[in-house]
This record gives sequence, C-alpha cells and structure tokens, in this order.
Amino acid sequence: MRARRGGVPVCIALLTAGCEGIQSALDPAGRQAQHLAEIWWVMLAVLMAVYVIVLICLAVAALRRRRENLSGMIVPPERQADRRIGLLLGAGVVITAVTMLSLTAYSYHTDRRLSDLSGRTEMTIEVTALQWWWKVRYLDDVPSRSFTTANEIRVPVGVPVRILLKSQDVIHSFWVPNLHGKQDLIPGRDNEIDIVADREGTYRGQCAEFCGIQHAHMAFEVIAEPREAFDAWRDAQIAPASPPADDQQKQGQDLFQQSACVMCHSIRGTDAAASVAPDLTHLASRGTLAAGTLPYNRGNLAAWIVDPQSIKPGNHMPLVSLSPSDLQALLAYLDSLK
Amino acid sequence: MSLHCRRALSILAALFLAAGLFACEREERDSRGPTAPETGPDPGSITLSDLYAGSPTRPAPDLRRDQFEKNAFHLSEGKRLFTWFNCTGCHAQGGGNIGPPLMDEKWIYGSNLENIFASIVQGRPNGMPSFRDKIPEQQVWEIAAYVRSLSGQAPKAAASGRNDQINSKPAEQSTPKASPTDTDPHSPSVEGRQ
Amino acid sequence: MAAKNYANTRYSELDQINTDSIRDLRVDFTFSTGVLRGHEAAPIVVDGTMYIVTPYPNALYALDLTKPGAPTKWKYEPNPASAAQGVACCDVVNRGAAYANGRLFFNTLDMHTVAVDAASGKEVWNVKIGEINKGETMTMAPLVVKGKVLVGNSGGEFGVRGWLTALDAGTGKIAWRAYSTGPDADVLIGPEFKPFYEKDRGKDLGVQTWPPDAWRIGGGTVWGWVSYDPDLNLIYYGTGNPGPWNPEQRPGDNKWSGGIFARDPDTGAAHWHYQTVPHDLYDYDAINELVLVDLPVEGQMRKVLLRPERNGYLYVIDRTTGEVLSADPYGTINTTSGVDLKTGELHYVEAKNTKAGKVVRDICPGAPGTKDWNPSAFSPKTGLLYIPHLNLCMDWQSSEANYIAGTPYVGAEVRMYAGPGGNRGEFSAWDPVARKKAWSVKEDLPLWSGALATAGDLVFYGTMDGWFKALDAKTGDEVWKFKTGSGIIGQPISYRGPDGRQYIAVLSGIGGWAGAIVIGGLDPRDTTGGGGFVNATPDLPDRSAQGGMLYVFALPPRS
Repeated sequence: MRARRGGVPVCIALLTAGCEGIQSALDPAGRQAQHLAEIWWVMLAVLMAVYVIVLICLAVAALRRRRENLSGMIVPPERQADRRIGLLLGAGVVITAVTMLSLTAYSYHTDRRLSDLSGRTEMTIEVTALQWWWKVRYLDDVPSRSFTTANEIRVPVGVPVRILLKSQDVIHSFWVPNLHGKQDLIPGRDNEIDIVADREGTYRGQCAEFCGIQHAHMAFEVIAEPREAFDAWRDAQIAPASPPADDQQKQGQDLFQQSACVMCHSIRGTDAAASVAPDLTHLASRGTLAAGTLPYNRGNLAAWIVDPQSIKPGNHMPLVSLSPSDLQALLAYLDSLK
Repeated sequence: MSLHCRRALSILAALFLAAGLFACEREERDSRGPTAPETGPDPGSITLSDLYAGSPTRPAPDLRRDQFEKNAFHLSEGKRLFTWFNCTGCHAQGGGNIGPPLMDEKWIYGSNLENIFASIVQGRPNGMPSFRDKIPEQQVWEIAAYVRSLSGQAPKAAASGRNDQINSKPAEQSTPKASPTDTDPHSPSVEGRQ
Repeated sequence: MAAKNYANTRYSELDQINTDSIRDLRVDFTFSTGVLRGHEAAPIVVDGTMYIVTPYPNALYALDLTKPGAPTKWKYEPNPASAAQGVACCDVVNRGAAYANGRLFFNTLDMHTVAVDAASGKEVWNVKIGEINKGETMTMAPLVVKGKVLVGNSGGEFGVRGWLTALDAGTGKIAWRAYSTGPDADVLIGPEFKPFYEKDRGKDLGVQTWPPDAWRIGGGTVWGWVSYDPDLNLIYYGTGNPGPWNPEQRPGDNKWSGGIFARDPDTGAAHWHYQTVPHDLYDYDAINELVLVDLPVEGQMRKVLLRPERNGYLYVIDRTTGEVLSADPYGTINTTSGVDLKTGELHYVEAKNTKAGKVVRDICPGAPGTKDWNPSAFSPKTGLLYIPHLNLCMDWQSSEANYIAGTPYVGAEVRMYAGPGGNRGEFSAWDPVARKKAWSVKEDLPLWSGALATAGDLVFYGTMDGWFKALDAKTGDEVWKFKTGSGIIGQPISYRGPDGRQYIAVLSGIGGWAGAIVIGGLDPRDTTGGGGFVNATPDLPDRSAQGGMLYVFALPPRS
C-alpha cells in the first residue's frame, strides 16, 4: 500500500521531468512564459476532463447498445426517453459552447497579457538570423555605445527588452521557450518581440523554423543577470579587443589578418572588420561556439577551427589548413579575446 | 482485373519505386573539400595566350573541372561567396563596374576554370586584387565555377535558377551561353545548352 | 586653379566671344592626350602655357601657346601604380592641377601629390600621403592657399577614412591633416569650432555618432572642391558619403560625413560645420562646389556660399557662421521633405527608407544625386548660377556590406533610370536671390561636364554624346554648338591667349561614373552594372566612343 502511494509522485515526477530545464516552456522564467505555461496547464486540464468525459460517454453508449442487442429486443421509442435525450444533447451543446467560448476568451486574454510589455521596454536589441547563427546588436541612443555580438543575448533581470527581428537569408524563427513564444524572422520585413526575464539564469533559444541543413544547430543562449553584472558586461563588450599580451598571441593576431579569417570575421580594434560571420571581438567571453553547438573552451575552439565541417556539416565556415604551431598561436590569440 | 494486368502493374510500380530511389541521390555535397593543403590547378594547365610559338601545345585541363562546374551545390556556394567577398563590388552581378563584365564573351585572362582560378589567386595588373591565402582553395574553385556560369557555361540542371538580391538580370540558369573569345578545345560540353 | 578663382565662380571676364560673335567660333587647335579614360580635368593656362593632367596614368602636359599649334613644351609622367585602378570607384579620373609660384601641383591616382616646376617640367617633390591597399585613391584638383597645397582622398566606396591634408608647397611636408570622422583631435575641432546649430555641438561627435570603430572605415572622403575666402581667412569644402552605403550598418548621424567644413587654412582648425545629409541613406556625397558670393538676403547683403547639393537642394549658407539661409529644391526630390532652417534638420521621407532584403523603388534623386561633382558657374553679370545636373531616379536594395580592406565596401544594389519627364540631364540657371529657376534646358543624356560663364553673356557646357554647347546666359537659348570626338565630361575654361585673343578650351573624353558602360564595355543586361548607372545609359555606347582630346576654340583673327 505504501509502495503504491509513493509510486504516484514518482510517476508524476518522471512525467514532468522533461518540463524543467533551460529550454522548456513549462519552466517559465518570465511573465509571458508564465502566462503561456498557465494557459497550457489550464487547457491541458480542461481538455483532459473533456477527453475523459467523452470517453466515458462513449463507453456508456457502447456498452448500453451491446446490452440491448444482447437481449434481442427492440425498445419502442418513448416520449420520456426522447425528452431526456433532447435535454442531454442540449446540455452537451451548451457545455461545449461555453467551454469553447471560455477557452477562446481566456486565450484572447492571455494574448493581451503577452503584449503587456509593449511601450514599456527599456532596451532594444536587434537580432539578425543567418544560416546558421544569430547576430545580436545592442542598440543605444548614443550610437557609439551600440555593439555587436553573436549567439548570446544578455539581459538584466526584470527589465523588459524589445527584440527587433531580421533575417538576411531565409525565414527563421526566434524561440526562447522559458521566456516567450515564437516569432518569425523574415528577410526584408521588420518583426519584433518583447521579452522579460524575471528570474536569473541561462535559457536556451533555438531556431524554430526549418532553415536549411544546420537548422538543428542554430541555437543561442539568453543569460539573465542582475543589472550591475549586465552593465559591467555591456561596458566590457563596448570596449575594443584587448591587444595581444605576448609573442604567441601577436603571432596569432598577424595570422588572423593574413589568412582567410579576416575575410569574414571582425575583431574591433584591429583591421579585421568583416561582417558576414560572427564578430569575434570578445569571443572568449561567450558560453558557446558555433551557435550553441559546442560549449566554449580552448579545446573545442581548436576542434572547430581544425575541421568545422565535421562538427557542423554544411555550415559556412570553411576548412583552413594551418600548421600545428600556427593553430596554437591562433588559439592563444582568440582565447585571449575575453 | 486479370492476373496479367496485375503483374504488369506491379512491375511498373517497382520500376517507379526504383526510379524514385535513384532520384534521392542527385549529387554529392562536398562542403568540406580535401583536408590536406591543396596547391591549386596544375601550373602547366594555364596559358594566357592562344598563340603558341612553334606548333600549338595546349595545356591539359585540370581534372576538377567537372567536379565543380557540374555541381549545383558548388555553384550556389560560389554565388554566395561572390557577394560575400565583394566580387559584386567591382563586377556587379556579372555586368561589370570597376572591373570588367563577366557575363559576356570577352575574356582578358582566359575563360577556363583554371585561368579564372589563377586570376582570383594571383590578381591581375589593372586592379584585380590578389586573394592568395585569403580564400581557401575549395572556395576559389567554387567562385571560379560560378563566374563561368554567369555567361551560361554551366549545365542548366546545375546553374542557379534565381537571384538572391534585387532581380537585376536573368539568373544563370536562363542566361544564354556566350562563346568565349579565347578558344578552348577542352571546354566541357554543356548539357541542355545550344 | 581648376575653378578659375578662390571663390569657385568659373566666370571669365573675357567678352570678345559674345552672343553675336560666337557665330564665328571655330576650332583653333586640338591635342590628343593619348589616354582613353574619362577626362574630367580643367586645363589651366598660366603665362602662355597650358597645362593638362590626364586621367590615370596621370601624365602632365605643358603646351606652348605662344607657338602655332601649341606644341608640347614638356611632359611629366609620374607612373602611378597600375593596381590603383582597382580601387577607383568611378573611373580613373583626375580633376585637374593647381598652379602657384612657378609650380604645378596635382594628385596621382595612387595617393601621391606631386609638385612640378612649371618652366622645366622637372619634379620638385613627390610625396605619398595614403595607401591604395586601404582603398584610398586621389582624383581631386588641389587648391593652393597661403603656401599650402590642400588635397583630399577618394574611396568612400572602399571603407576609407576621409581627410583633407595641407602640404607645405615648398617641401611637400604635411602641415596638418583634418579627418572627417573620429575624435575631435583628429578632426581638428578645438575652441574655434562654433557650429551654428545645436546638433553639431558636443564632444567627439565624430565618434559618438557611429557604432564603435565604424568611423575608422566610415568614408567622408574629400574628393570635390575647396573654396577660399581671403577676407574671412577660411577654406570651405564638403565631405563625402559615409560608408558603407547600407545605412543599417551605421546607425547614428555619422558625423562629419555628408557635410560642409569651414577651416582656418593656416592651422586646419575647424570653424563651423553643417551636415547637409546626416546619416546619408542614398550615397548623397556632400562634395559639390561651394560658390562664394555676396548676395542680398531679405534686404541685407550677406557673405554666403551657394551649394547645389547632391540631395537636390540648393543651399544658401552664411559663410561666416554656417547658418542655412535657404534650401530650395532644384530637381525632383522624394527622399526628403525639406530642410528646417531653425534646427538645420533635413527631414527624411519614411517610405523611401532603405532596408536590407527589400527593394525600395522610385527613389529620387538617384545615387549620383540631382547633381554630382561637375561644377556649376556663377555670373556676377546676370546674378545667376548655371548648374549642369541630372534627372535620375533609382531602385535600391541594401545588403550586408563585408569590409575587406582594398575591396569595395558598399552593401547596396542600385539601378537608375530617367526621372520624371524622361530627360536624364538638365542645365538650369538658378536665381539665388529670387530662389527659383530663371530658365532651364532639358538634356537627353545625363550631364557630367562642368559649366563656364563668361562676360560675353555666354555659358558653355558639354554633353556625353560629344556636343559642346554655348547658351545665351540670359535666356538659355542655344547660340552655338560643336560636335567633339567623344563625350564631354570635362570642365570648359576660357583664357586670353598670348596674342590677346579669347579662347575657349575643353577636354573631350567620355568616362566617369556616368560613362562606365562605355569605358568598361559593361553588359547592360545586368541592370545593377556600373554602380547602377548602366541601366540609365544603355544607349550610350551607340552615341559616344572613348576618346581623349583637347579642343581649343577661338574667333578668327581680325585681319
């Protein structure tokens, strides 16, 4: 008996284990996600009830029919039974209509609550989707305090943020389940979504519209942190890259300028200012590589540079042959870009 | 339905299925290229003149021609890189600007794939920059193949069917094939082109 | 100097050739420069010698006007690097030389400024002041003011950081260099800087109004004209478009690109700036000529400068303070709705705002503006400004520009076509006091030549199919024309020859941005070819061929 009682919570825990985590709509970290989760649970509960009731009715109907059939008698129609069925049907229609209308109203209300933030946002971030990564530009009234990073969005906790959504190639979709629903990024069209993170933490975002061969590896992180930490981070990001600290880093920097790297990437403070690939000014401060494909560390960086096409086949980073010493120098330099 | 008829139908269905499976294997997408350092086209495969001292000894074509020129993936990659690396800044979408047009029949430094490869890597004296060490060789091949498709030198099945930007001209697939002024006996036969 | 005088009026006091006598105007001699690219230069005449700078390879010729047929006295060849041709956006042109104290000064395409002894043709000094590998070239005509040679760079389409540099005329040493972007110290903004409008005041606006580091590759090149007012001791010049063309990559006002600077020629210190095109959206460089005149404005004589701007407005600006007195459209404009004279603000039209991934159609004026570099002329006799200009509109699509040093940095695809009316060019006489057109003549082809006004009540200009025309300055009636061998994009001049007769000279040689289709043999099937100009001029190859010839005209000698 005791074992059976303990089994219920275990089952529920097992069932809902998938709901928690850094990429889950059922583990809301913001007001809007909260509303979405709420409507999800309410819908689930109501529809489950409806489902159960329908099944019961179905079972009753099926069993009754079989019983009558078994007796082999044809029951003559009765006025009273007719009225009862009519009442039942009427009640069924009314209940269904009321349920539908209530859910619609509730959904409408939730929609309204989702757009509560509009006009109250304090920051604007422009997110541009590309095959297969995210360019993130923090806008500011003073243009020199704007800056560009990639595959990582940091926001202060509790501050509503407007995200302008753009695409440079095909249609993508911006989705951070812990914070809000999806919104498409469409080439040539300005779209936007307002988000707020009410709880500190790191949340995973993912492209939610199939966009080509590496769609699955087109992720990013949203990091919500206290205002002071965010401001410090922003000031560090605005600053140009730190100059090479030793000879090996200097060699790496020269190599960066003289090789294919400089054709696509930029490192502010150097002559590299290309913009078709992620800005690397503060690469080593980011949590992931290749749009959430690998956690950032020097080893993964080496693997990525040596053969990007086996880690993320079809992506636009080409294989550039480097000698082992050149690779070490390049790694030393890139790893210094905090 | 007669047994005869049914048998015929099942054979037909099997054939369709087989044909469908073949269609799955359209072409290889080699996004990585060789891992060992390449050395570009055989230097012996490039000449810049059609006039030969003594009897003509035309160079042998590089074996990679078909691999890049007949492959839709490589051509589309070449098209993307043509914009990324600012080729469009000087050559527009093939109509030319600071640099010469690439969609007509006139070629200053040779129209075949190896010559275009060499022009990109070495640069040319009247303003074409050298991209040596700046573009990995696989990508140079792709760009060179795309450049040839601008004047209709690529097979229709492989050439790009649409433009990514402002629709400035018919896409490569519908560009009439130009006859390059430099004669090249090894020029690949182009399917679907007159 | 190329512009006749410090005030840039291009007005000649000579009147032997007038509306009556011009019937007899005929070719006196011609001279082939041996170069087939766009001849945008003005010949200059000093002491019986004519000096001509050719397009790349920038040869300098001295022609002896005292002898019949004007034989070559000497030729100076600077041999610029041929690779420089690859970073010259709009043909390998040169806009002329300047003369001072027995020396000629001119710029070569590969970033050298050269001083040549006028008598012997020997090089006095030759200094390299920029780097083609960063996309820099030089095409402008220098101006010599108080022993300083003022030169600026080109390359706004290559991620160049624009500047104006003063070189010591004696040694070629850099006296000062004023950047168009970056911190105040680099822009030479100090205590003397007193811009008229509030929006131009503040510290380091050349950094603040750009995304971080974008000002380092932000354009603002100085490839147009410099004027000088000796009374106020100020030089005036404009700064080119910000780079890249795609405006989404450079949020902010992008100071000090797209505006006019007034500076002290001795120190380079900025006195005022007015940004005619803040956060330029359409490649409207602000480098056109600044014509210094004194005009009655609301009953009061004011020292002003006239600026027929690329964005389509004719600005009258107080040249002492930088206050905009008026700004009136002299061509079709739908990109902006006017200039607020109180704040100096230019009002953009939201519907014509360009966006990546979207084709914005019917933008007027087109990228070369209502008028490009080709200078106008002002006649004090008629009080009119004669403006050779364009009537082009365009479709535009922005895309991400990828900065790679030494390659174009544009991020926009453009195709142009004729504006309302179908004529691609127009020659207008503008009355700056009444603030309206006195008369105007429509030209089928885009006008890419300069204008010349003379005391004989004539104005001269050339067309891209080779016609050299003279109009009555008062009425605009065509009184004379002559067909030269190639299209004319040069600057006509008038001079008194050693024999006392008046001559008119002009270079004929098609090219420039507008002539791209002819000089480059471009393919008109691609409507974005030639920076979009090809689509506006597909008929040009049938109407003009390449050339490079000087034509000098005179009345027959009185016998």
